[in-house]
Amino acid sequence: MTYALFLGCKIPYRLPAYEASTRAVLGHLGVTLVDLAFNCCGYPARNVSRDAFVVAAARNLALAERAGLDLLTPCACCFGTLRHAIRFLGEDAELRAHVTRTLAAEGLVWSEKIEVEHLLAVLARKVGIDTVATAVRAPRAGLRVAAQYGCHALRPSDVTGMDNPMTPTLFETLIRATGATPVDWPRRLDCCGDPLHEANTGLSERMTRAKIADAVESGAEVLCTACPHCHLRFDAAQTGGRDPAIHTLLYTQLLGLALGLPEKTLGL
Amino acid sequence: MSPALFQTLLHASLALCVLGLLWRASAWFRLRIGPDARAATPWRRVLAVCHGVGAALFSRRVLRLPGALVLDVLLLRRLFASGKLRWLGHLLILAGFTLLLMMHALAPLVSARLFPGYQPTLVPYLFLRNLFGVMVLVGVALLLFGRWRAGLPSRPMGAVFVALLGLVLVSGFLLEAHKIASPRAFYRMAQQFVGAAGSAELKPLRAFWASEFGVAFNDLKGAIAPDLLARGRKLHGDACAACHTQPAAAFVSYPVARMLAPATGFLDAGGADTWLLYLHLCACFLGLASLPFTRLFHAVAAPISVLIDAAGPSSAMSAAGRASRRALALDACVRCGICDLDCSVAPLARYLGNPGLLPSYKLMSTGALAGGHQQRSGRKRDGLGGEALRAAEGAFLCTDCGRCTDRCPVALDLEDLWAAGRGDLAAAGLPAPAQWIKARPAFAWAEYLEASPGAHTSSEPGGAYALLSADSRLFSRCVQCQTCTNVCPVVAHSMGSAHGIDLTPQKVMNLLRLGLRDLTLGSRMVWDCATCYQCQENCPEGLRVADIMLELRALAVQRLGTVRGLKEPS
Repeated sequence: MTYALFLGCKIPYRLPAYEASTRAVLGHLGVTLVDLAFNCCGYPARNVSRDAFVVAAARNLALAERAGLDLLTPCACCFGTLRHAIRFLGEDAELRAHVTRTLAAEGLVWSEKIEVEHLLAVLARKVGIDTVATAVRAPRAGLRVAAQYGCHALRPSDVTGMDNPMTPTLFETLIRATGATPVDWPRRLDCCGDPLHEANTGLSERMTRAKIADAVESGAEVLCTACPHCHLRFDAAQTGGRDPAIHTLLYTQLLGLALGLPEKTLGL
Repeated sequence: MSPALFQTLLHASLALCVLGLLWRASAWFRLRIGPDARAATPWRRVLAVCHGVGAALFSRRVLRLPGALVLDVLLLRRLFASGKLRWLGHLLILAGFTLLLMMHALAPLVSARLFPGYQPTLVPYLFLRNLFGVMVLVGVALLLFGRWRAGLPSRPMGAVFVALLGLVLVSGFLLEAHKIASPRAFYRMAQQFVGAAGSAELKPLRAFWASEFGVAFNDLKGAIAPDLLARGRKLHGDACAACHTQPAAAFVSYPVARMLAPATGFLDAGGADTWLLYLHLCACFLGLASLPFTRLFHAVAAPISVLIDAAGPSSAMSAAGRASRRALALDACVRCGICDLDCSVAPLARYLGNPGLLPSYKLMSTGALAGGHQQRSGRKRDGLGGEALRAAEGAFLCTDCGRCTDRCPVALDLEDLWAAGRGDLAAAGLPAPAQWIKARPAFAWAEYLEASPGAHTSSEPGGAYALLSADSRLFSRCVQCQTCTNVCPVVAHSMGSAHGIDLTPQKVMNLLRLGLRDLTLGSRMVWDCATCYQCQENCPEGLRVADIMLELRALAVQRLGTVRGLKEPS
């Protein structure tokens, strides 16, 4: 099983532990990752120009297609953005023609041949929950974990195809596979607050704090993430000298620990 | 050139160089980049830098410096990582130029002291001088080739530097070649060292130098008699050999001398040895005097930047120290463009036609804004335009992916510089779109649009596909059930807040249904939307509410951008 690894802009510089643990876990489970010279997924450009965002996203899709590989991303926002671009390209022939011309200037082609997958979906459906569970050597028994899905991985479900948007179970199933206990928490499908941190810092921080408080109240010991935006936002909200209200852990780190991989390879 | 003139020019250019260096270096303490740099006076920054240097020298971090000096400064390790050809080119220039400077330009201070019997006309110095010169020329050629192949634009200051360097080297080679071939130089030296005035006595030496040293006597025709040559060899051995070995070792200048041979008489008559010397020396002096003001200044600033980086991250520095590091970055940057090649928003820069997104341009615009060289607000007569706006668009589309910082061969902390630059742009009235748009209420923006000249044109702003928000009939399905508003976390978390939202999502949809889109563009709801897609997922009528919010933002940036600089409508 081979994928082109799309790390996006946040992970390599801001959250290298996510890259390290993704490579370690997927490598351990027999998934081969190929690095391509990807650019920004287009997410920030969506605020400024619809066409520019689709062009940037389509260029990445075309790069993966040239390599003949499906694309795997550990970032929920990159995932959502790339899937959105596919939707826009599919529903508007004029846009499609425009993007095709733009890509052709670089000798690139996108012809819908490749899939865009989020890391969690690959683990749950392509690698398979059973394979993941069987590979666990050091189950995290008794650890109470709150799953943070990440809005852009989940919604809109007709674009992401990730899971049932109202009652998703994919992340919890993956947490259970590590031996840990998923916690039901009322705000689990809420936004982490990150996308509007620049536009409205106060509002963003209220949203982040509400989520953290809810996870703690629900008895979670660990807030488990699968998106660098959510993860960094929770971490940023908890710095300031005090002990964190709740520990954040990337799903790849949780799984890596359960697989018995050395902490160092997981960026811990 | 007379010694007095030489000394005068040397000291004048040296003085200009030193003064220029001081002036340029003082900018590292004067230039204020970033809001946190404004508080620190230049004097406080000098103290902060002294303190930082002292702290680094008396800590364990000092152990990292020798390695950085050898690997990063001398062997250009960071450049090696980004391209072998470029690294080789740069290393050839650095090594060739330094060695030429030491062995040739500073010969009285270096070569003559280290190597007794040093003469520029002896092997191996003849050979080495040519070798070093060729190293520099090949290095320059490799760098230019690399730039051309990567499609990087040439930059004026870089071109001045390359032209001066080329002039120094080419005039040096021509001067040496001409002196090899020149009968006039031969006679001058012969008069000084053989003392023979009559050409009869010099005849054997002439024959020998013509056959062995490549002097191009135009009155020497036909074969040379062996005994004449033998006598010449003896005379040469007595008078010349101490300082002269065969110039064929000058593997560039000698072939050039052979090529120039037919024209040597003409060049001699024109006093070529004098003006070539003037050209060579003046080019050197010009290079020296202009060093602080051409790209060559990076030779001073870049090693400092690399050593600062080796000593520790910017985040560990004081604000005053960071401010100085930012100002230094403007000088250490060589405009190599490696950052641009890897920039994660480079395709966006190409598509939007705005190079202001690219790191090398951002560095220049950040410096220009801080230095007051850019019109601060970018206001033009009819709305906003110009460089400042493009710079702002570039600054706020940057994804902070860190690739430029990671790849920078001179170890600039560009992440820190971009954050500081965004702060400066915001302070100059050019913040992120969410900020400048939210600075006015939605209805005020609608009034601006109403009053603007193009208000009632029906055409949509340039875009390749149909707008979701364009057709008000699309919204006839909206039954105003308020589900979108009820599931919106922004609405929920704004309750009781002083700066709450103005329109709920359902009201935005209603305005679109009524065809009043302009009233929504500046809405806080649109700009505070978390894009969590709860509204869209939950809409019973399948309206793409969040997609529409994002579309309205892009429309607002375009439409409101045209009326941004206008005075308030009366």
